[in-house]
Amino acid sequence: MKGKTFMMFVAPSLLMMLLFIAIPLGLVLNQSFHETKAVVERVTTENCTPGFIAPTCTTETRTIPKLGADGKPVTVTDFVGFDVYRRVLDLDAVARALSPGGGGIADILQIDYWKALRFTLSFTFITLPLVVGLGLLIALAVNAIPRMLRGPAIFVTLLPFIVTPVIGALAIRWLFLGDGILTRAIEWVLQQDISMFAQGWTIEIMMLIYKVWHVAPFAFVVFYAALQTVDQDTLESAIVDGASRFDRLRYVVIPHLAPLIVFVSLIHLMDSYRVFDEIIGFASQAHVISLQYLTFSFLTPDETGNRAVARAAASSMLTMIGIVILLIPLLVRTWRMHRESRR
Amino acid sequence: MTMPGSRTMERPILLKLASNGFLVLWLIAAVFPLVWIALMSIRAPVEALSANPLDVLFGKTTFEHYYAVWVTHEFWRNFLNSMLVTAGVVSVSLTVGTLAGFGLARFGGALAVWLLIIALIFRALPHSVLVTGYLPPFLSSRELLAPLWESHWSGWFFQLLSPAPPTLYGQPWAIILVLVAINQPFTIWMMRSFFQNIPSELDEAARVDGCTHFGAFWRVIMPVMWPGVITTGLFSFLLAYNDYLVTALLLDTQSQTMVPGISQFLNRDTRASDQLEAIAAAVSITAPLFVLVLAFQRQIVAGLTAGAVKG
Amino acid sequence: MRRGRHDELHSLKAVHAAHGKQGRKSMIRKVLAAAALSAIMTASAQAACGFQNTVPVKSLTSAFEAWKAVTAAMAECGNIQSELDQNFRAKQPAAFAANPSLYQIGGVANGTLTPLVNAGTIRPLDDLVAKYGQNLSPNQLIKVNGKIIAVAMMVNTQHLVYRDDILKELGIPVPVTYADVLAAAEKIKASGKVQYPLGGTFKAGWDLAQDFNNMFVGFGGTFVKPDNMPGVNSEAGEKALDMMKKLSAYMDPEFLVSESTFVQKQFQQGKIAMANLWASRLGALDDAKESQFVGKFGVAAAPRAIEGGLPSSTLWWDGIVIAKNISDTEAEAAFRVAIEGIDEEMVKANNAAAIWLVKGYTPGKMAQGALDTAKGGAPNYASTTSMGLLHAAIGEKIADFMAGRRDAKATLAEIEASYLVKAKEQGLVK
Repeated sequence: MKGKTFMMFVAPSLLMMLLFIAIPLGLVLNQSFHETKAVVERVTTENCTPGFIAPTCTTETRTIPKLGADGKPVTVTDFVGFDVYRRVLDLDAVARALSPGGGGIADILQIDYWKALRFTLSFTFITLPLVVGLGLLIALAVNAIPRMLRGPAIFVTLLPFIVTPVIGALAIRWLFLGDGILTRAIEWVLQQDISMFAQGWTIEIMMLIYKVWHVAPFAFVVFYAALQTVDQDTLESAIVDGASRFDRLRYVVIPHLAPLIVFVSLIHLMDSYRVFDEIIGFASQAHVISLQYLTFSFLTPDETGNRAVARAAASSMLTMIGIVILLIPLLVRTWRMHRESRR
Repeated sequence: MTMPGSRTMERPILLKLASNGFLVLWLIAAVFPLVWIALMSIRAPVEALSANPLDVLFGKTTFEHYYAVWVTHEFWRNFLNSMLVTAGVVSVSLTVGTLAGFGLARFGGALAVWLLIIALIFRALPHSVLVTGYLPPFLSSRELLAPLWESHWSGWFFQLLSPAPPTLYGQPWAIILVLVAINQPFTIWMMRSFFQNIPSELDEAARVDGCTHFGAFWRVIMPVMWPGVITTGLFSFLLAYNDYLVTALLLDTQSQTMVPGISQFLNRDTRASDQLEAIAAAVSITAPLFVLVLAFQRQIVAGLTAGAVKG
Repeated sequence: MRRGRHDELHSLKAVHAAHGKQGRKSMIRKVLAAAALSAIMTASAQAACGFQNTVPVKSLTSAFEAWKAVTAAMAECGNIQSELDQNFRAKQPAAFAANPSLYQIGGVANGTLTPLVNAGTIRPLDDLVAKYGQNLSPNQLIKVNGKIIAVAMMVNTQHLVYRDDILKELGIPVPVTYADVLAAAEKIKASGKVQYPLGGTFKAGWDLAQDFNNMFVGFGGTFVKPDNMPGVNSEAGEKALDMMKKLSAYMDPEFLVSESTFVQKQFQQGKIAMANLWASRLGALDDAKESQFVGKFGVAAAPRAIEGGLPSSTLWWDGIVIAKNISDTEAEAAFRVAIEGIDEEMVKANNAAAIWLVKGYTPGKMAQGALDTAKGGAPNYASTTSMGLLHAAIGEKIADFMAGRRDAKATLAEIEASYLVKAKEQGLVK
């Protein structure tokens, strides 16, 4: 295929990604180096609020944003270099924590960004093997049952995956919140009062369980599909060679699935690195937050209606750099495979 | 693995028990939370929130929450919005993505690989990064787009579309474009892998017969690509239907889809019945997904088997 | 029965509850009957509005009981779409900044007024009040810089709510100070009457920060100095945190997810005996359909932190604003609709839903807590940028203290540091 024809095929797709992904990304990058401040003035005003019986009026000096001729607040935007990044990473506090008198790692993990990074990474890397392992086990188990039972088993297995993430998280949360049925079940087993939402680590465990419950079916369906194409001849010759069940799994089935394990890991890596719905669903922000949640919270207007756009932009850029670092091994592999396929 | 006659393939009884026992446990875990909220949604508030699980299991059935959600709070409006957005995303995404996937699968240049790698990075982007970029222009798009409508040489065209520049915030079609774009990287990767497993001799033969690339695509590839398209389409459907972040931030109440629409019940939440209405709404959102999986389960596995996921 | 959608909903539910008893055969007929009934009610309800509104008007407000009543009354005028959202705070500034504004009417309180005033997205109402506001009392008019910018309908404050029956039975006098509260909590705990003696709106973020504000006021603290520098890292701040920690020991350990609705449900299900709760919640709290303890609640002024000091609470008002970026015709229609929503008729029909500022309100037994809190001298919550920023900073950091991850001194220092970052970004301090 010639370059020109190729461009015609990909142009619509490229245009959409350019308009709705690349350009916003560029804008965000630009915003992370700039800071917009409102111009304020100090004025003495008379303000009245309702009191009991009569209104309370006070005259006081307040700092308020200056409104321009068009009725909108006057703002100035300055280029500030990496200042905003420094603030998001809170490098001063990091330096303090690492200095002799500081609190070390424990102190660093109190800072919003590092706290979020810690959770995001541990969430990603704890769920990854669980998702792949559970998905593989279910696939092998389903593949071993009689054909007529497979349909219903696949159907039920797929349910957690297709359920809307926010709703799935809510469903699991409702089972645990307060005197939810599962909390009662655990209380009955342990014979003591427990509160799943009172401390960070229990919430984290619930979020891990939810994520594995939600994503394992995806791993399952991919692995199951691949199991249908395992080369029967190889398997048979392995049996003739006297390979045990475990050996067959290890030397024939797993290598066959290898590219798909990479595929599932890749997708899972990307999806759990941007963990967000779980934070909302479990209302865990008092204890643990994720990187995407951090960006989201910068973007939410504070009590004065102001969005910390610069900090949001910087934290999204840092998030993006993180994901690119995680993806490098996989990107290199893609590149190599391409080179090999051309040879 | 399916050779009933061969003895060595038969599994020892212990392994069989362990494997089947594990499967049963998983199936219960998979379905339990959903069954439980479905049960809660058809019980009166006192029973549904009762501390005794038997009240939830065997309480009196009532559909008052569903009635409140669908009739009193007009949840069907959100349902229609969801259908509109989902249908739009699936059809546009597949059309655009199939073409691009085919191009990428058949073009050998380094440009294709770079595009795929960039797409992979785009796929990994946290959506809040993008929404950071969208929100301000979406809110003030009427002012931003005004020059296009007022200028001499483009104004006549845009005025044909609408008399005044639109406010993109709250427009379902704008959300469709956003979600299609977000979904493109995954779609083109899936479709490319799928087309790579269709021998290129097929379309090359058609080209020898005098077809253009588009002609070959239309006549030879189209008839055989459906398993892959259906699988990819299902993933697009899930993305559009389940999206919370983008739709919650960029749509207003009148155009809101079901998933962010549920927050109207969660956030009013000043009475126990409000919480149960939220649960009833959640179950209502899940029901169409059940039907979808029931209908397309075979195709998902078939599509994946046919190679849509081979690296 | 007469009033709008909300009451319709309840009457429909009543009709519906009957289905179970009478079996399914008559279901369809019943639904049709209910639909007909609601149609009649809508028709008669529409007659209750003083004029027929023809301009489409949208409102965005909070979602507690009083707003349900007000938006239902506004709906009678026709062409109204009301959005009730407890998270309206996050949406309102952007929605009003759009041109044209996405909503004509906004529901605000002291805190949420600040961003709209700062951004200049709401309009002065002097001429509209002169034209249509004959029935408003001067006490309802919120003025900034001499101009009317909002019309208040109710006041709100957090004060003590308790289970009268439990306190009487155990012979505990109604607590006046927080020392009394702790003593009472200890006794209730010993009696085993309820699962947890205390409840609290301690949800991490805004709610928890507001509870800190209340306590800080009680200990005589100053939030922000005249030069916009923060004042929470002080003795009063440490005492406030210390007291909150002591209170939390008597609460459900999941207190960091406990917002007003959570506390309300705890009361209704008999899990707690005392809590500082918003006055606006009392209507929904004492509802026979949801509560197992109707009529057993008592109210009192917010407890004092220091003997003889101010009640530990702040006074709030809720009211309506009109967007600036809309046509004058729309603004006029929106204002008339809003005034219809907060008229005497509505207040008489929903007397118990709030402490109304509107004519025709007769304070009931449950209003006494708020009135005593105000009479005791609890200050107004300041509608200033610096207060808003400080509130946000407290909300971000205080959960760390309550969860035991930081001590009081370090938490207060963190709050001030976080405030200063924000205040610098907005140019309040150099």
